[in-house]
Amino acid sequence: MTHRRPVLHFRAGSRLIAVALALGFTSLLVAVAGASPIETFRLLWDGSLGTGDKFANTVMTWVPLVLASAGLVITFSAGLWNIGVEGQIVMGAIAASWVAREVDLGTAGIITLAILAGLAGGLLWGLLAGALRVYGRVNEIFGGLGLDFVATGLVVYLVIGPWKRAGIASTSGTDPFPREAWLPTIGNKLAPIAVILAVLAVVGVYALMRGTYFGLRLKAVGANATSAFIIGIRTHRYLLAAMAIGGALAGVAGTVQVIGFQHKLVPAISGGYGFLGILVVLLAAYRAAFIAPIAFFFVMISVGSSQLSLRLGLDSSIGGVIQGTLVLVAVLVGGWQAQRARHGAVAVED
Amino acid sequence: MSLELRDIRKRFGAVRANDGVSLQVEEGALHGLLGENGAGKSTLMKVLSGFIEADAGQVILNGRHLEMSSPRDAITAGIGMLHQDPLVFLPFSVLDNFVLGSPNANRVEAGAELRRIGAGFGFSFDLTAPARSLTVGERQQLEIVRLLWLGAKVLILDEPTTGISATQQALLFETLRTLAAQGMIVIFVSHKLEEVEALCDRVTVMRRGKAVGDVELPAPMDQLVEMMFGRPLEVTGRKPGGPGEIALELTDVCVDDRLVSLEDLSMSVRHGEIIGLAGLEGSGQRTLLRTCAGLIEPKSGSVRAAGVDLTSRGYHHHLSSRIHYLPAGRLEEGLIRGVTITEHFLLAGEQTGPIIDWAEARRRADEMLREHSIVGTTESTAESLSGGNQQRLLLALMPDDVAVLLMEHPTRGLDLASADWVWNRLLARVAGETAIVFSSADLDELLRYSDRIVVFFGGRVFKVLDARSTDSERLAHLIGGRDVA
Amino acid sequence: MRGRALLRLVVVLSVFALVAAACGDDDATTTTGAAATTTTAAAGEDLVFGMILVGPQNDHGWSQAHYEAGQYLEQQLGATMIVLDRVNPADRPETPVEQVIDDMVAQGAQLVFATSDDMKDGALLGAERNPEVPMIWSSGDNAWVDGKDYRADLANLGNVMGRMEYGKMIAGCAAALTTETGKIGYLGPLINDETRRLANSVFLGARYCWENYLGNDPADLEFSVNWIGFWFNIPGVTLDPTVVANDFFDSGVDVIISGIDTTEGLVVAGQRAAGGETVWAVPYDFEGACEEAPEVCLGVPYFNWGPRYLEVAQSVIDGTFTADFQWLGPDWDDINNPETSSVGWLNGDGLGADAATDLETFIAGLADGSINLYVGPLNYQDGSVFLADGEVATDFQIWYTEQLLEGMIGASSAG
Repeated sequence: MTHRRPVLHFRAGSRLIAVALALGFTSLLVAVAGASPIETFRLLWDGSLGTGDKFANTVMTWVPLVLASAGLVITFSAGLWNIGVEGQIVMGAIAASWVAREVDLGTAGIITLAILAGLAGGLLWGLLAGALRVYGRVNEIFGGLGLDFVATGLVVYLVIGPWKRAGIASTSGTDPFPREAWLPTIGNKLAPIAVILAVLAVVGVYALMRGTYFGLRLKAVGANATSAFIIGIRTHRYLLAAMAIGGALAGVAGTVQVIGFQHKLVPAISGGYGFLGILVVLLAAYRAAFIAPIAFFFVMISVGSSQLSLRLGLDSSIGGVIQGTLVLVAVLVGGWQAQRARHGAVAVED
Repeated sequence: MSLELRDIRKRFGAVRANDGVSLQVEEGALHGLLGENGAGKSTLMKVLSGFIEADAGQVILNGRHLEMSSPRDAITAGIGMLHQDPLVFLPFSVLDNFVLGSPNANRVEAGAELRRIGAGFGFSFDLTAPARSLTVGERQQLEIVRLLWLGAKVLILDEPTTGISATQQALLFETLRTLAAQGMIVIFVSHKLEEVEALCDRVTVMRRGKAVGDVELPAPMDQLVEMMFGRPLEVTGRKPGGPGEIALELTDVCVDDRLVSLEDLSMSVRHGEIIGLAGLEGSGQRTLLRTCAGLIEPKSGSVRAAGVDLTSRGYHHHLSSRIHYLPAGRLEEGLIRGVTITEHFLLAGEQTGPIIDWAEARRRADEMLREHSIVGTTESTAESLSGGNQQRLLLALMPDDVAVLLMEHPTRGLDLASADWVWNRLLARVAGETAIVFSSADLDELLRYSDRIVVFFGGRVFKVLDARSTDSERLAHLIGGRDVA
Repeated sequence: MRGRALLRLVVVLSVFALVAAACGDDDATTTTGAAATTTTAAAGEDLVFGMILVGPQNDHGWSQAHYEAGQYLEQQLGATMIVLDRVNPADRPETPVEQVIDDMVAQGAQLVFATSDDMKDGALLGAERNPEVPMIWSSGDNAWVDGKDYRADLANLGNVMGRMEYGKMIAGCAAALTTETGKIGYLGPLINDETRRLANSVFLGARYCWENYLGNDPADLEFSVNWIGFWFNIPGVTLDPTVVANDFFDSGVDVIISGIDTTEGLVVAGQRAAGGETVWAVPYDFEGACEEAPEVCLGVPYFNWGPRYLEVAQSVIDGTFTADFQWLGPDWDDINNPETSSVGWLNGDGLGADAATDLETFIAGLADGSINLYVGPLNYQDGSVFLADGEVATDFQIWYTEQLLEGMIGASSAG
């Protein structure tokens, strides 16, 4: 009934092994491309944390990734592959953009409303994928992918249609929002509200999964929906709730993207953070506690990698290669350990 | 030839599966290894046959210390193990399975050997038939011959009588006696006292990870029971009691459930009553139970409980009417892998606010563990428990005030003590007015505990009997579709 | 158990916070250091300049033309270029233009070229944030005193654009002289002032040559425009230019003129020609663009950013930089002179000999001023008057073209 999540109950050590292996592999790749691995990693570090602005930029990229990842922890816990997360980010961004463009209530009012609207936009889109799964028997992977396309279609339509710049029809984006609709910043970029939202999301999801009946039931539904149903859990409600929460957090991620980072609506507003978030959560073994640092590491690589082309002339897609390798190696190491564990510990089952 | 296991220790997490077990077996003996589920028999034999490595201890064969890290090492040393359900590659032919693992074997010679060795025991094989056409008993025969062909001098059999016919069992026992007489060491692992008694010359009894003692057979039954369980055991029977009000009532119910269709079924269960469902597997018992539980919606007719119409209201409404269902698949549709015992109690219990008080939850779970004699800790996950303990946990998860309890195979795969414990619990509930409807393949169980027995045949209700005026012979006939009365 | 898990979360988060805080402190010092270096004036070989490209630096189109102009500066001055390509929200969602500008400045750039219309917001913001660093936003209009979007406050952000109208007229002419079906397709990027201006110019050139050199009825020339939605293909977001190009050919068009940054139109034409069809294409932007399918290439109108960028760089070295608006035409003495002409046209192998002769006449007419296509009467697509009879268009009118012209098929703006 539910998809099996990849087994990732690995020990802390294996994550370190994975990181070491991935870094080794990347070093090799960089060396083959003719650059110094040490210089590469130094540039990644400097490029993402080297200056106040870079650090702020990294943090502001981290925020939507963490928000999306936090939501994915919930959906993965319920045994759902929420591939629709990208569309949920986009719908959140669209809803927040509407507020930012149309509402004039002063900064506090606009921002509050935009966050709520973004949350609602993502929530509805998540719920829709959930309803397709629960009532329409459409696997959430395919439903989600479909809804991703619909959301992208909608944002392109808005950007070159009703919300186009005067006299312009370009997918490059809408006009920047009025300054009142921008998240207030410290310095050029760093928006404390965005950071607070991300921290709240992580702590909230952690508390939900560790300390509440709701989280426990979600975990039960994810681990074995049939048993959970027999025990008395209304599994459909929990699947829908998981999609709603996951979608809401993704919607907030979209909100931060439009009013905190791009300050306008662009078709690529999701930044791919939904799919990147799936990698983060896989690497975090579905645990809320790990997503903040892992997401930060990922973002450092993304942001820092533009330095590689600026300074070393390396193709900056090397950042994506490092991230992908990391997850792949982690999954492999995790699978290898799980297999060893199975061999070693046959359950006491005389 | 002699085999000795010296001070074997193996832990799984907090559980000491083997806690310093020593065992000595001489050639020519049919040696039994007896113990209830979870006593550590399988673990010990897996150590002996190289499937798992012990934390400590030695295996000594003919005075030689063996270092084994795989079953291949074990068979090289002459130790072969026959599993409960032999691992056979079903799409492959009998001969393929026979030479699998011996890639250098000459197939023609191997086939001849298979026939020759098999013929010595009265086995006959169709070498080209696919393995899936074999019964469990025939697969065992194939595996025994294979192990002998590979040079096994020590043969371990882990619960070999599960799932084989009486004829095959007789043939198996004869084979084992022959092998022992030829000077092999044969170790027969079982939780069934009668089998060990019938077959073995000598028995080692295990309890809670330890070897309790060796006994020459025949020996008094009571002595063995007491060694197995640490106390004398009485099989609980059913005290007839007066049934009360109607707890659950089906009226003219028609159900379609794939191959099974129940038509115009009317029956009622009273508080304090036990109804047994008999029949071959898949004859409609499960359909009836699931209809009563609200998991299958009847095409027509009504389901009422305590005067409330529950027809088509769904499983959760049935639950709120205190109708509970305990399916046969303990880890598939009962317990949840990866979820701890404490968490199971939280999931099944009453919710107290949105936040979990973990300390309190653990305390309560611990209490329940003790009360239901479940071997495990509050942090044990469901899949780490033995079958008997899983069943105990499932029962412990039921609230006290269950009105109707629907159970599939309440004691399947359990040893005597666990089965008796389960029924003690169930009878206590019945005394407290719970009605029970259960299905079972065990005729004795049906006759011993039921007030009435509903016999299914070919997807419909064949006969309803008063359990007290029926014997097992008649019941067996009915299950086979013959009404001889 | 729960205590331990909580502790772990706290530890992880605090370590994280510590790292974050430590890095935060780090920044301040580096920033000031970097800012100090940018103010020093430099000789040619000390000049460091940034080049921000919207597409890949080897796109055989718009971005490569800029990239090679940067290399030209390196050759001429011994200057050092810092380049970052693919700066757009689809390829680098985490890297906005202003961040790239900041980075380049921090890395010592004394001059930054933001080379796309798409970089408007980032360029304006980056210029605001680094007022001491001269910058160029190519194809923009913020420094045009008479323009619609003049920003007097940005004294460090100038504009450069070539008068590509001429190149496009030549392209249109070459297409009209070649087409056998009388159907020309214009593969447009997104819709804005610039792209309407260029599409109109192609149309004017095509109609002129169709009528005057071939003696055909302008009504028989079918000129359609199809916009993909951006300067280049973004899968899932824009229309796929390969598909659009194929659709053109399927509908009977036999010459495609490209207005996008990349060469799909020419590539598709090459493929179809290899399949036996009689089709041609005109690429855009980059001198070497015809290489992708030379036999079907009628020629290419291209930008030569080098000369103007060199002047700008020199003015920065001399300390005489002013943010002005430069809209530069071809050097009519030799429109392909790499040192003097900002806009050029190179004939392609696909251009027939007769057509080449007529095209030469046409270019000569443009050069001596005897041909001016922006003279009335010209109507917009909706029938409204663009230029009254005899009226000569001003730069303002051409730059801020509001619609496609009457006689063209296609959208003037999105619906």
